Amino acid sequence: MQITDRLENQTRIVTIAGNVDALTAGEVTQYLNGRIHAETKQIILDLSQVDFMSSAGLRVILTALKASRKLGGDLYLAGAQPSVERMLKVSGFTSILKTFPTVEAAVVEFSSQDHGGPQSVERK
Amino acid sequence: MNHRRQITRAAELECLETLRDFVDTQCKDIPGMDEQTLYDLKLAVDEACTNIIIHGYSGMNPGSIILSVETDPKNVILTFTDFGHPFEPSEAAIPDVQAVLDGRPMGGFGLFLIYQCMDLVEYETNEDGNCLRLTKHIQNQAQTF
Repeated sequence: MQITDRLENQTRIVTIAGNVDALTAGEVTQYLNGRIHAETKQIILDLSQVDFMSSAGLRVILTALKASRKLGGDLYLAGAQPSVERMLKVSGFTSILKTFPTVEAAVVEFSSQDHGGPQSVERK
Repeated sequence: MNHRRQITRAAELECLETLRDFVDTQCKDIPGMDEQTLYDLKLAVDEACTNIIIHGYSGMNPGSIILSVETDPKNVILTFTDFGHPFEPSEAAIPDVQAVLDGRPMGGFGLFLIYQCMDLVEYETNEDGNCLRLTKHIQNQAQTF
Protein backbone atom coordinates (compact mmCIF):
# COMPACT_ATOMS: atom_id res chain seq x y z
CA MET A 1 0.00 0.00 0.00
CA GLN A 2 1.17 3.53 -0.78
CA ILE A 3 -0.14 6.90 0.37
CA THR A 4 0.57 10.28 -1.17
CA ASP A 5 -1.01 13.66 -0.75
CA ARG A 6 -1.15 17.12 -2.24
CA LEU A 7 -2.79 20.45 -1.50
CA GLU A 8 -5.25 22.06 -3.87
CA ASN A 9 -7.24 25.17 -2.96
CA GLN A 10 -6.61 24.54 0.76
CA THR A 11 -7.97 21.04 0.36
CA ARG A 12 -5.76 18.08 1.27
CA ILE A 13 -6.11 15.33 -1.31
CA VAL A 14 -4.86 12.01 0.01
CA THR A 15 -4.43 9.21 -2.50
CA ILE A 16 -4.28 5.62 -1.28
CA ALA A 17 -3.07 2.86 -3.58
CA GLY A 18 -3.36 -0.85 -2.81
CA ASN A 19 -5.23 -2.69 -0.07
CA VAL A 20 -6.71 -1.21 3.09
CA ASP A 21 -7.18 -4.04 5.55
CA ALA A 22 -6.51 -4.69 9.24
CA LEU A 23 -2.79 -4.88 8.50
CA THR A 24 -2.49 -1.52 6.72
CA ALA A 25 -5.32 0.51 8.30
CA GLY A 26 -3.18 1.75 11.18
CA GLU A 27 -0.68 3.24 8.77
CA VAL A 28 -3.43 5.10 6.90
CA THR A 29 -4.92 6.43 10.15
CA GLN A 30 -1.51 7.62 11.31
CA TYR A 31 -0.88 9.31 7.96
CA LEU A 32 -4.22 11.10 8.05
CA ASN A 33 -3.81 12.15 11.69
CA GLY A 34 -0.63 13.91 10.68
CA ARG A 35 -2.34 15.86 7.92
CA ILE A 36 -5.67 16.98 9.34
CA HIS A 37 -5.02 20.39 10.92
CA ALA A 38 -6.89 23.62 11.46
CA GLU A 39 -5.23 24.91 8.27
CA THR A 40 -6.10 21.84 6.22
CA LYS A 41 -9.34 20.46 7.54
CA GLN A 42 -10.92 19.81 4.15
CA ILE A 43 -9.91 16.32 3.16
CA ILE A 44 -10.54 14.34 0.00
CA LEU A 45 -9.70 10.66 0.17
CA ASP A 46 -8.90 9.50 -3.34
CA LEU A 47 -9.85 5.80 -3.39
CA SER A 48 -9.48 5.29 -7.14
CA GLN A 49 -6.41 3.09 -6.67
CA VAL A 50 -7.76 1.07 -3.74
CA ASP A 51 -8.22 -2.47 -4.99
CA PHE A 52 -9.56 -3.89 -1.76
CA MET A 53 -10.96 -2.38 1.42
CA SER A 54 -12.33 -4.16 4.50
CA SER A 55 -14.17 -2.88 7.56
CA ALA A 56 -10.78 -1.73 8.84
CA GLY A 57 -10.89 0.83 6.03
CA LEU A 58 -14.34 1.94 7.16
CA ARG A 59 -12.92 2.62 10.62
CA VAL A 60 -10.12 4.68 9.07
CA ILE A 61 -12.64 6.79 7.17
CA LEU A 62 -14.82 7.33 10.24
CA THR A 63 -11.86 8.37 12.37
CA ALA A 64 -10.68 10.89 9.78
CA LEU A 65 -14.21 12.16 9.17
CA LYS A 66 -14.69 12.86 12.89
CA ALA A 67 -11.30 14.58 13.12
CA SER A 68 -11.97 16.90 10.19
CA ARG A 69 -15.49 17.79 11.30
CA LYS A 70 -14.27 18.48 14.81
CA LEU A 71 -12.12 21.22 13.29
CA GLY A 72 -15.05 22.56 11.27
CA GLY A 73 -13.96 20.86 8.07
CA ASP A 74 -15.20 17.80 6.24
CA LEU A 75 -14.05 14.68 4.44
CA TYR A 76 -15.19 13.53 1.02
CA LEU A 77 -14.49 10.27 -0.75
CA ALA A 78 -13.63 10.24 -4.43
CA GLY A 79 -13.19 7.67 -7.16
CA ALA A 80 -14.12 4.55 -5.23
CA GLN A 81 -14.28 1.47 -7.41
CA PRO A 82 -17.76 -0.10 -7.73
CA SER A 83 -17.20 -2.86 -5.16
CA VAL A 84 -15.85 -0.42 -2.59
CA GLU A 85 -18.66 2.03 -3.35
CA ARG A 86 -21.24 -0.69 -2.71
CA MET A 87 -19.61 -1.57 0.59
CA LEU A 88 -19.75 2.08 1.64
CA LYS A 89 -23.41 2.20 0.70
CA VAL A 90 -24.49 -0.99 2.44
CA SER A 91 -22.62 0.09 5.60
CA GLY A 92 -24.50 3.37 5.72
CA PHE A 93 -21.47 5.55 4.99
CA THR A 94 -23.03 7.24 1.98
CA SER A 95 -25.65 8.70 4.33
CA ILE A 96 -23.10 10.39 6.58
CA LEU A 97 -20.57 11.67 4.05
CA LYS A 98 -20.38 12.67 0.41
CA THR A 99 -18.87 10.55 -2.31
CA PHE A 100 -17.83 11.73 -5.76
CA PRO A 101 -16.87 9.88 -8.92
CA THR A 102 -13.67 11.92 -9.28
CA VAL A 103 -11.32 14.01 -7.17
CA GLU A 104 -12.03 16.96 -9.44
CA ALA A 105 -15.74 16.84 -8.62
CA ALA A 106 -14.97 16.75 -4.89
CA VAL A 107 -12.63 19.73 -5.21
CA VAL A 108 -15.35 21.69 -6.99
CA GLU A 109 -17.75 20.91 -4.14
CA PHE A 110 -15.32 22.16 -1.51
CA SER A 111 -14.59 25.26 -3.60
CA SER A 112 -18.27 26.08 -3.91
CA GLN A 113 -18.59 25.97 -0.12
CA ASP A 114 -15.58 28.24 0.33
CA HIS A 115 -17.36 30.82 -1.79
CA GLY A 116 -20.72 30.30 -0.11
CA GLY A 117 -22.14 28.95 -3.31
CA PRO A 118 -25.58 27.45 -3.67
CA GLN A 119 -24.22 23.90 -3.73
CA SER A 120 -23.14 23.92 -0.09
CA VAL A 121 -23.48 20.52 1.53
CA GLU A 122 -26.29 19.66 3.88
CA ARG A 123 -25.04 17.30 6.50
CA LYS A 124 -27.42 14.70 7.84
CA MET B 1 -18.12 -30.59 -10.91
CA ASN B 2 -17.22 -30.27 -7.24
CA HIS B 3 -13.87 -28.91 -6.26
CA ARG B 4 -12.18 -28.46 -2.89
CA ARG B 5 -8.89 -26.84 -1.93
CA GLN B 6 -7.48 -25.99 1.48
CA ILE B 7 -4.82 -23.67 2.84
CA THR B 8 -3.40 -23.34 6.35
CA ARG B 9 -1.75 -20.15 7.52
CA ALA B 10 -0.64 -18.60 10.81
CA ALA B 11 -3.29 -16.42 12.39
CA GLU B 12 -1.41 -13.20 11.65
CA LEU B 13 -2.54 -10.06 9.86
CA GLU B 14 0.39 -10.46 7.47
CA CYS B 15 -1.37 -13.54 6.06
CA LEU B 16 -4.64 -11.78 5.13
CA GLU B 17 -3.59 -10.98 1.59
CA THR B 18 -2.45 -14.56 0.98
CA LEU B 19 -5.80 -15.88 2.21
CA ARG B 20 -7.73 -13.44 0.01
CA ASP B 21 -5.57 -14.32 -2.98
CA PHE B 22 -6.20 -18.01 -2.37
CA VAL B 23 -9.95 -17.51 -2.69
CA ASP B 24 -9.46 -15.31 -5.73
CA THR B 25 -7.38 -18.00 -7.45
CA GLN B 26 -9.84 -20.77 -6.61
CA CYS B 27 -12.97 -18.88 -7.63
CA LYS B 28 -12.18 -16.43 -10.43
CA ASP B 29 -12.63 -18.96 -13.23
CA ILE B 30 -15.92 -20.42 -11.99
CA PRO B 31 -18.58 -20.06 -14.70
CA GLY B 32 -20.94 -17.24 -13.78
CA MET B 33 -18.47 -15.58 -11.44
CA ASP B 34 -18.42 -11.79 -11.68
CA GLU B 35 -16.23 -9.12 -10.09
CA GLN B 36 -18.72 -8.18 -7.38
CA THR B 37 -19.25 -11.78 -6.27
CA LEU B 38 -15.50 -12.33 -6.20
CA TYR B 39 -15.09 -9.19 -4.11
CA ASP B 40 -17.79 -10.40 -1.71
CA LEU B 41 -15.93 -13.68 -1.25
CA LYS B 42 -12.60 -11.97 -0.61
CA LEU B 43 -14.25 -9.54 1.80
CA ALA B 44 -15.85 -12.39 3.73
CA VAL B 45 -12.51 -14.19 3.95
CA ASP B 46 -10.75 -11.05 5.13
CA GLU B 47 -13.33 -10.21 7.78
CA ALA B 48 -13.64 -13.76 9.08
CA CYS B 49 -9.87 -14.20 9.34
CA THR B 50 -9.39 -10.77 10.92
CA ASN B 51 -11.93 -11.71 13.60
CA ILE B 52 -10.10 -14.96 14.27
CA ILE B 53 -6.71 -13.22 14.45
CA ILE B 54 -7.80 -10.31 16.65
CA HIS B 55 -10.55 -11.86 18.78
CA GLY B 56 -10.29 -15.63 18.40
CA TYR B 57 -6.68 -15.87 19.49
CA SER B 58 -6.80 -12.86 21.82
CA GLY B 59 -4.60 -13.49 24.85
CA MET B 60 -3.34 -16.76 23.40
CA ASN B 61 -0.30 -17.77 21.43
CA PRO B 62 -1.21 -17.21 17.77
CA GLY B 63 -2.47 -20.42 16.25
CA SER B 64 -3.51 -21.29 12.74
CA ILE B 65 -6.39 -20.69 10.37
CA ILE B 66 -7.47 -23.47 8.05
CA LEU B 67 -9.42 -22.15 5.10
CA SER B 68 -11.11 -24.49 2.69
CA VAL B 69 -12.85 -23.43 -0.50
CA GLU B 70 -15.42 -25.79 -1.95
CA THR B 71 -17.17 -25.08 -5.19
CA ASP B 72 -19.99 -26.76 -6.99
CA PRO B 73 -21.99 -25.50 -9.97
CA LYS B 74 -24.22 -23.35 -7.74
CA ASN B 75 -22.26 -22.46 -4.60
CA VAL B 76 -18.98 -21.43 -3.11
CA ILE B 77 -18.54 -22.66 0.45
CA LEU B 78 -15.81 -21.13 2.61
CA THR B 79 -14.95 -23.01 5.80
CA PHE B 80 -12.69 -21.49 8.46
CA THR B 81 -11.32 -23.62 11.27
CA ASP B 82 -9.43 -22.15 14.21
CA PHE B 83 -8.51 -23.23 17.73
CA GLY B 84 -8.99 -19.98 19.62
CA HIS B 85 -11.83 -18.66 21.73
CA PRO B 86 -15.30 -19.61 20.44
CA PHE B 87 -17.37 -16.81 18.97
CA GLU B 88 -21.03 -17.06 18.07
CA PRO B 89 -21.61 -14.74 15.09
CA SER B 90 -25.38 -14.64 15.40
CA GLU B 91 -25.03 -12.86 18.75
CA ALA B 92 -23.24 -9.86 17.27
CA ALA B 93 -25.00 -6.50 17.21
CA ILE B 94 -25.74 -4.69 13.96
CA PRO B 95 -23.58 -1.56 13.79
CA ASP B 96 -25.08 1.90 13.50
CA VAL B 97 -22.76 4.20 11.59
CA GLN B 98 -24.53 7.35 12.77
CA ALA B 99 -24.14 6.27 16.38
CA VAL B 100 -20.43 5.78 15.83
CA LEU B 101 -20.16 9.24 14.34
CA ASP B 102 -21.84 10.60 17.45
CA GLY B 103 -19.12 9.13 19.62
CA ARG B 104 -20.25 5.65 20.52
CA PRO B 105 -17.76 2.80 20.14
CA MET B 106 -17.34 1.23 16.76
CA GLY B 107 -17.56 -2.49 16.35
CA GLY B 108 -19.28 -5.24 14.49
CA PHE B 109 -18.82 -3.91 10.97
CA GLY B 110 -16.77 -6.91 9.92
CA LEU B 111 -19.41 -9.41 10.89
CA PHE B 112 -22.12 -7.18 9.46
CA LEU B 113 -20.33 -7.24 6.10
CA ILE B 114 -20.02 -11.03 6.22
CA TYR B 115 -23.79 -11.32 6.62
CA GLN B 116 -24.30 -8.82 3.81
CA CYS B 117 -22.10 -10.53 1.26
CA MET B 118 -22.76 -14.20 2.02
CA ASP B 119 -26.02 -16.11 1.75
CA LEU B 120 -25.63 -18.51 4.65
CA VAL B 121 -23.60 -18.20 7.85
CA GLU B 122 -23.15 -21.30 10.04
CA TYR B 123 -21.00 -21.73 13.12
CA GLU B 124 -20.06 -24.71 15.20
CA THR B 125 -17.57 -25.25 17.98
CA ASN B 126 -16.45 -28.59 19.37
CA GLU B 127 -13.35 -30.44 20.52
CA ASP B 128 -11.95 -30.21 16.98
CA GLY B 129 -11.98 -26.42 17.02
CA ASN B 130 -14.24 -23.60 15.88
CA CYS B 131 -15.75 -23.92 12.44
CA LEU B 132 -17.30 -21.03 10.52
CA ARG B 133 -18.99 -22.03 7.28
CA LEU B 134 -20.04 -19.38 4.77
CA THR B 135 -22.02 -20.16 1.64
CA LYS B 136 -22.41 -17.97 -1.41
CA HIS B 137 -24.79 -18.81 -4.23
CA ILE B 138 -23.01 -17.96 -7.44
CA GLN B 139 -25.72 -18.28 -10.07
CA ASN B 140 -28.13 -15.73 -8.66
CA GLN B 141 -26.51 -12.38 -9.40
CA ALA B 142 -29.10 -10.62 -7.24
CA GLN B 143 -27.48 -12.14 -4.18
CA THR B 144 -24.58 -9.72 -4.23
CA PHE B 145 -25.17 -6.83 -1.85
